Amino acid sequence: MAQRAVWLISHEPGTPLCGTVRFSRDWQEDSGYLSFTIRRYPTVEKRARVFNGASYVPVPEDGPFLKALLFELRLLDDDKDFVESRDSCSRINKTSIYGLLIGGEELWPVVAFLKNDMIYACVPLVEQTLSPRPPLISVSGVSQGFEFLFGIQDFLYSGQKNDSELNTKLSQLPDLLLQACPFGTLLDANLQNSLDNTNFASVTQPQKQPAWKTGTYKGKPQVSISITEKVKSMQYDKQGIADTWQVVGTVTCKCDLEGIMPNVTISLSLPTNGSPLQDILVHPCVTSLDSAILTSSSIDAMDDSAFSGPYKFPFTPPLESFNLCFYTSQVPVPPILGFYQMKEEEVQLRITINLKLHESVKNNFEFCEAHIPFYNRGPITHLEYKTSFGQLEVFREKSLLIWIIGQKFPKSMEISLSGTVTFGAKSHEKQPFDPICTGETAYLKLHFRILDYTLTGCYADQHSVQVFASGKPKISAHRKLISSDYYIWNSKAPAPVTYGSLLL
Amino acid sequence: MGPLSRDAWAQRLGAFRASPSAFMAGPEGEDLGRDLLSDLRSEKLSEQTKVSLLALSMEYPAQLWPDASAAEVAATSLLDTLVLLPPRPSALRRPLLLAATTALAAGGALGPTSGASCRLLPLLLGLAAGSDLGRGFVPASEQRPLQATACECLRELESCKPGLLGGSLGLLRGLLGQEGPVQPLSLLLALALRNTLVLQSRVGAGLGGLLTDKVSPTGGGPWDWTLVEEGDGRLQPQAPSWPAAEEGEGERSLTAREHSPEEARELRAAVIQLLDTSYLLTPVAQAQLLWLLGWALRGLQGQPPALFKPQLVRLLGTAQLTLLHAMLALKAAFGEALFTAQDEALLLRRLTLAAQHPALPPPTHLFYLHCVLSFPENWPLGPEGEEAAPLLLGPQLCRGLLPSLLHDPMALLARLHLLCLLCAEEEEEEKGQLPSPRHYLEELLAGLRQRAALDGGPRALATLCFQASYLVACCLAGQPTVLTPLIHGLAQLYQARPMLAPHFVDLLDQVDSELREPLKVVLRQVVVSRPGRDEALCWHLQMLAKVADGDAQSATLNFLQAAAAHCTNWDLQQGLLRVCRALLRAGVRGGLVDLLQVLARQLEDPDGRDHARLYYILLAHLAAPKLGVALGPSLAAPALASSLVAENQGFVAALMVQEAPALVRLSLGSHRVKGPLPVLKLQPEALEPIYSLELRFRVEGQLYAPLEAVHVPCLCPGRPARPLLLPLQPRCPAPARLDVHALYTTSTGLTCHAHLPPLFVNFADLFLPFPQPPEGAGLGFFEELWDSCLPEGAESRVWCPLGPQGLEGLVSRHLEPFVVVAQPPTSYCVAIHLPPDSKLLLRLEAALADGVPVALRTDDWAVLPLAGDYLRGLAAAV
Repeated sequence: MAQRAVWLISHEPGTPLCGTVRFSRDWQEDSGYLSFTIRRYPTVEKRARVFNGASYVPVPEDGPFLKALLFELRLLDDDKDFVESRDSCSRINKTSIYGLLIGGEELWPVVAFLKNDMIYACVPLVEQTLSPRPPLISVSGVSQGFEFLFGIQDFLYSGQKNDSELNTKLSQLPDLLLQACPFGTLLDANLQNSLDNTNFASVTQPQKQPAWKTGTYKGKPQVSISITEKVKSMQYDKQGIADTWQVVGTVTCKCDLEGIMPNVTISLSLPTNGSPLQDILVHPCVTSLDSAILTSSSIDAMDDSAFSGPYKFPFTPPLESFNLCFYTSQVPVPPILGFYQMKEEEVQLRITINLKLHESVKNNFEFCEAHIPFYNRGPITHLEYKTSFGQLEVFREKSLLIWIIGQKFPKSMEISLSGTVTFGAKSHEKQPFDPICTGETAYLKLHFRILDYTLTGCYADQHSVQVFASGKPKISAHRKLISSDYYIWNSKAPAPVTYGSLLL
Repeated sequence: MGPLSRDAWAQRLGAFRASPSAFMAGPEGEDLGRDLLSDLRSEKLSEQTKVSLLALSMEYPAQLWPDASAAEVAATSLLDTLVLLPPRPSALRRPLLLAATTALAAGGALGPTSGASCRLLPLLLGLAAGSDLGRGFVPASEQRPLQATACECLRELESCKPGLLGGSLGLLRGLLGQEGPVQPLSLLLALALRNTLVLQSRVGAGLGGLLTDKVSPTGGGPWDWTLVEEGDGRLQPQAPSWPAAEEGEGERSLTAREHSPEEARELRAAVIQLLDTSYLLTPVAQAQLLWLLGWALRGLQGQPPALFKPQLVRLLGTAQLTLLHAMLALKAAFGEALFTAQDEALLLRRLTLAAQHPALPPPTHLFYLHCVLSFPENWPLGPEGEEAAPLLLGPQLCRGLLPSLLHDPMALLARLHLLCLLCAEEEEEEKGQLPSPRHYLEELLAGLRQRAALDGGPRALATLCFQASYLVACCLAGQPTVLTPLIHGLAQLYQARPMLAPHFVDLLDQVDSELREPLKVVLRQVVVSRPGRDEALCWHLQMLAKVADGDAQSATLNFLQAAAAHCTNWDLQQGLLRVCRALLRAGVRGGLVDLLQVLARQLEDPDGRDHARLYYILLAHLAAPKLGVALGPSLAAPALASSLVAENQGFVAALMVQEAPALVRLSLGSHRVKGPLPVLKLQPEALEPIYSLELRFRVEGQLYAPLEAVHVPCLCPGRPARPLLLPLQPRCPAPARLDVHALYTTSTGLTCHAHLPPLFVNFADLFLPFPQPPEGAGLGFFEELWDSCLPEGAESRVWCPLGPQGLEGLVSRHLEPFVVVAQPPTSYCVAIHLPPDSKLLLRLEAALADGVPVALRTDDWAVLPLAGDYLRGLAAAV
């Protein structure tokens, strides 16, 4: 269970990252790629040679590797022609794990993914022959590789606000990897921990210190719990197709408590008419789980007997802020129900939009906007509209309307917008192609945020937080609801549906 | 050269990293390793620069120190540098330990005879044990981190030399029980334990007291090089506790060796000790521990896997990739012994849930989906190693895992695979309230085709559509309710966007005939029903070259005739000719002759006209099978991209004689001693069916008159062939070598020629008898011959050794046809006629037990040495 090599490649054509990169090469700069090989692990490579025997393929130098990887990920801008080694129908990849053709040999498995303009890649050790290729599930290094790359990604982007912070973090990476993965076997995916560890190095650690907690907190005890719910929805306003919506919750904690292993129990509660929490995933520091929590799942049909809390999570907190648990929930109605009708009338589009806030939802938004994009068309040249509420902003070049609804829906809870839009000629450079929204297939997307509110009603009762540590901690709790992927599709045209929408 | 400055080093390291091989081949390459080691002791360089030098040495030891002796020298130098550090905190101690370990392990220098190994190992174990190494070697503030580092180094050495720490198990266990750092010690102990158990069981030994003996780290040293040797110095493929993956390894590593009750108790205690403190480890380290211990305990009697249960309950609620993966490994290793049917169902539910949980990133979803389809079931039904839906995964569980057009390509394909598996299982009566998966599949494919048909859409969309079609065709072969709409949908897609022709050609190449044949028919109809002059003509021609065959000839030819007028450039003309070629191969003759004639006259491009004329000539002159071969895919140049070159090569292969490996073998039978000439009897044998075989023989040195070729109409392997008779006309009585060439036609119609191994004509093969004298006149006849040899000829006496069969046996075996006078068993007179006109006369008389003196005469001097050799070799040639 080890990695043979790890790479981090910035992928932002045209704007190479500057700063403390360890090295760069000409051809990569030309094409806008910069690569930082983070580490190679020669002792693991040596084991690979023995384990893989005749099927061993060495990890290549960075240049050929990068080229093959970009080709495989379709990031080289040359997909004009059919290329069999990439486009053949039988080359099917169903995981983020690839075989790269390099110099006539196939390097496998290469774990790789693109996120935030960075390509993360590593090659896990396979402790047996590669021919026949063993099933992925039997390769222990694969999950470790993923965790490693996620760890790097979290480190680079958690709390990062600008490029200079990113560059600082990039420059810290080599030293951190020396701590977190000195020989290719990952010791801790939480790189921040390793950074703290370096800083804490002078502290003599007492016995039985958890490896995931590099020091101890000194100061005023306090526990902060914040519940963030994201609501997503697909609304069609159509016969035979059901609207769907789902709440996804994240409970984040920061526990500043003295002692090596303070014990904390947090209970999440629901009001009487609250929606049960399902699909609960917990942080590994949670020490035990009620079986009702483990089994409550969105896969089963809902009934009244569903476990509705309180949901108790006993745990020993790490030093840093962490995600105590994730959950999903099926609330009875979507917070905002609406329809969107769009019709093409000769040279213009006629649109009608209606949105209604459900009465049970707190009518106090931090912001609420409806984004109405028009894909595969030219810039907006003319607009006539009438709205019952809020203002409309027009982004002509982007072919986008933003309906700013503001902080509150009116008393009627219902608002509408109608109008006609005319477009100029389409120019391909400025208007990227969208494969979904062709013809009259179109959507509007809602963006909103409500503070101190959850759609499920879920809350962390301050009095139910139990802390077994010296001193009485100050406990603070926060809640918020935000929209995420909240789509209302044009009901006058076909729209992509999921299997769930057909389950009426 | 003095030490380099910081900047100079930065530049040098940058150049190295940019391309290590190029740098090492350059002028500075040779010195890099040496400079690096010496500059580590330079006082001018900052610690930060030295750390970056050490980091380089940890990544590229094989380039810096390419062989074991160089690695040994480097490790020694690194250890010296470590010892020379002043007794104050330094950032160099940790990287120096790591670098020395890397140099030894990666350089292959680790071993009992390596001085550096013998210094490093006790140092590491001492540090790991937290012992006082004296002289302020480790400043107090660094003790704890170095203890952890030493454990990591030891673990890496144990990984590279399994069994090395077999003798330190007791010591490590003791340290873990005391104040040692939990994670490094746990992982080290678990690895050493696993390796020791594997190696001991291989040699049939038990653990003995290894888990309880506490060796002093400063004493003689607990290095178990013997155990390493047992492991053959070789790493053992671990196939970590995955039963299906290790089949064929031949060695189920942990054969169920029973440990003594004492050993079993200690082992159990050690495992419980490790598991009990595992919550102190980081999640990734916990996962490693579970993989290692799962592997260690697998197959061990008396070690119930229930030990793992408390951990599983704790971990089942998490969504950490490594932890769930480790749990699946335990599931695969122990099956029902650890997971009851209910546990199995719960694990599968958690996995299914994780595969779609919105809080997890997409790569995690995909990996979990793979795990669902490879789920290690307690009682698997299907074939191993193939992705399949586990029995417990009903349609209800899958509902959230089905694909939609909104998914990215990888997720869509992964989920589509699951949908296909569901459709394959779907039975008619299952039509409940749920929408039919098959219907949903159809809609989804239609949506994908619609996107692929979009004008100006990226190629990735088309690729996705064809990948999905291929997946469906593979998973749901034999389901006409799925394939029929798929075929028609694809035909419509082609109609909408002919530029996807290369994708169609690729699809037709990949799928099996169940989809290919009907799809070809439909696509051909789509193409030929068009007027043949639109702008997509090049795609139509490409398509037609793939799908045209003997069916619907007239429609195809009409289309081509109409198209010919619009083929104004070279590309299009070549496309057109490619279709003609495909039709030629398919055996179309009638209307094609006319078309080719027209093309040979009309095409603007001379190259096109030439080709058309060539095809016309081929069509007019070659029989259908030969034509098929001539135009078939070229065997001679499969890798050439240029169709023209490949085509020419194809003609060369088909129409000319090709050198080929010999498909026929010849063996020499006994020669015939009748008639006026010696005749060789040849036994041919074919390795493949061959036709019109002609064997040509050439005599080296013109010793014989030129030989006639031998003809065989047909030879088949396994069918006995009649022997071939080859008459020889010697010009002088001497053995000779015959070069043999074979010329034949293969069953595919190619004409080949091959060199066969040469045949050797022996001296004895030339022997012919004299005409038999009348009864009773033999002796007189012989004496007359005998006297006639001299004075021109030669005389000699030779000792002919006799084997156990005696003189009588020797004569009857080799000389029978040539005996003129016989007085068995003691005396024989032998007269041999050697064509063209020589004689050889032998008197074999007064035989002794081990040999017989032979008096010989011949009228040809040159025969004498040959006769001598022949006689001397007779006894051996039995």
